Amino acid sequence: MLSRTADNLYWLARYVERAEYLARILEATQRLTALPLAYVGESNEWESAVATAGCAGAFYAVFSEANEENVTDFLAFSTANPSSIRSCFEAARTNARAVRTALTVEMWDAINGTWLELRRYGNGPTSREELSRFLRWVQESSLRFDGCAYRTMLRNDAYWFTRLGVYLERADNTARILDVKYHMLLPAHEQVGGPLDYFQWAAILRSVSALTSYHWVYRESLKPWLIADLLILKEEMPRSLASCYENIVTNLDRIAAAYGRQGPVQRLARSVRTRLQNSRMDDIFQRGLHEFIQSFIADNNRIGTTITQQYLT
Amino acid sequence: MRILISHDTVYRYANPPASVVQILRLTPRNHDGQYVGSWRIDISADCRLDAHEDSFGNLTHTFSVDGPVEELVIHVEGDVDTEDTNGVVRGAIERFPPGLFLRETQLTTPSPAIRDFAAALKAAGYGETLSLLHGLLACLYEEMTFDADPTHAATTAAEAFAIRRGVCQDFAHIFIAAARSLGVPARYVSGYFFRSDGVNDQNAGHAWAEAYVADLGWVAFDPANGISATDAHLRVAAGLDYLGAAPVRGTRYGGGAENLAVRVRLQQARQQAQN
Repeated sequence: MLSRTADNLYWLARYVERAEYLARILEATQRLTALPLAYVGESNEWESAVATAGCAGAFYAVFSEANEENVTDFLAFSTANPSSIRSCFEAARTNARAVRTALTVEMWDAINGTWLELRRYGNGPTSREELSRFLRWVQESSLRFDGCAYRTMLRNDAYWFTRLGVYLERADNTARILDVKYHMLLPAHEQVGGPLDYFQWAAILRSVSALTSYHWVYRESLKPWLIADLLILKEEMPRSLASCYENIVTNLDRIAAAYGRQGPVQRLARSVRTRLQNSRMDDIFQRGLHEFIQSFIADNNRIGTTITQQYLT
Repeated sequence: MRILISHDTVYRYANPPASVVQILRLTPRNHDGQYVGSWRIDISADCRLDAHEDSFGNLTHTFSVDGPVEELVIHVEGDVDTEDTNGVVRGAIERFPPGLFLRETQLTTPSPAIRDFAAALKAAGYGETLSLLHGLLACLYEEMTFDADPTHAATTAAEAFAIRRGVCQDFAHIFIAAARSLGVPARYVSGYFFRSDGVNDQNAGHAWAEAYVADLGWVAFDPANGISATDAHLRVAAGLDYLGAAPVRGTRYGGGAENLAVRVRLQQARQQAQN
């Protein structure tokens, strides 16, 4: 396969995953800000939404303060923001068109249909209800695309490169949520069980669709250290860092086996996975949750760069 | 190096036992120098195989078979990618501070002879811990003769050292006893060793020792081969001594005499290019 084809497939999957993630952040933030002030305190949730989306720099270059209107527009519809939902779908569709023959009909229909339908939303919904419908639609589009890939693609390097894109992006996204909200998850945090904390924790879990999973796994009320455990170390939780790395390593191994050679990225990914497998939450808290997440994000970025060097250029 | 392992432990009983209970430490974990690609355990009888983790972080499986069974085969196979880290073991599970591994056990109690042997080395001017351990490794390899006949699973370090003979287990126990007598934390490691001389079929797993060096962390020494661990060593379990890291331990109800055969087959996978 040409590096260029692999590159398009990888980024196609990454962009779709990122669009879904942005929709999740916006939905969680909308839900938090809809609560009475007494529950959620004075903190500006829109600021933290911008930070979690990882585009604070670009945002504050244009706006001086974050509010519902400009954050929603910037993260969802702005053409100036290269990581808005609209830009992500545009970029995904451009990548898909470049490798149209490497996709199945269903995948192409899903991504092209999404792109066409995106136009219907014009410059954005006018009401909150409409925005909610839009955010649901974004997530469903991503689900449809992912399902098409899963159900119709031949299991060869083309499929594995799309999986790499999905899981690398997902790992980055979950890590970024943890990075912005880590202070909420520290066990030393006071007022355990206060309404403020409860809604923040629930929002973290909701942004990765894990609120129900949490109760299945722990059968307990929300405890910050258990939330951290679920999102970092639990392989059975599909958006946890451990699960993403299980998948990244598996797909890199398949690529290596098919090509008969392996390189630095396989070794790097295995060592990150090993670290996740051999860690316990107590040790992570002891050495610093923030430092752990920071170094994870750095590792994840390094793996992204190494994939590019090894396969995509 | 990608190593393919196939390991059979076969029990044949004179009188079929009514039940057998065993605990297996047969599943390797990942660390910086090794990555487990796939791994599975098959037991020849119908049974429930429960996975746990022991206090040292080793993966264990326990099973109980309701008999009568005439023959019981524990089959393990998998493939593991290893890298040569010059013996340094990084990224492994560490549940305890190194100081715990100064603890003596019955199998590793140093006899006066072992103490003298170790003290003589120290006196001979090996300065730092690391060179002291390398000296111990070399002298032990020189001093001891590999011989499977005179020792058995319950032979202590002192007994094996007295006759200067033993298998990898005894070498490791003596190394550990000597290192601990010098105040260096040391532990027993069970695993597999891929032989470069082309002998793929072996009738036992392998064992070696790890010792703690302050600035370096845990370093693996293989006194039976007189070398530091390489990418030919596949680390499975670690403990204070053989009993804590033994591949198979168990008990049975009835059964009379038992005949135990172990077949280990290690192969190097078709060379995969590294870049």
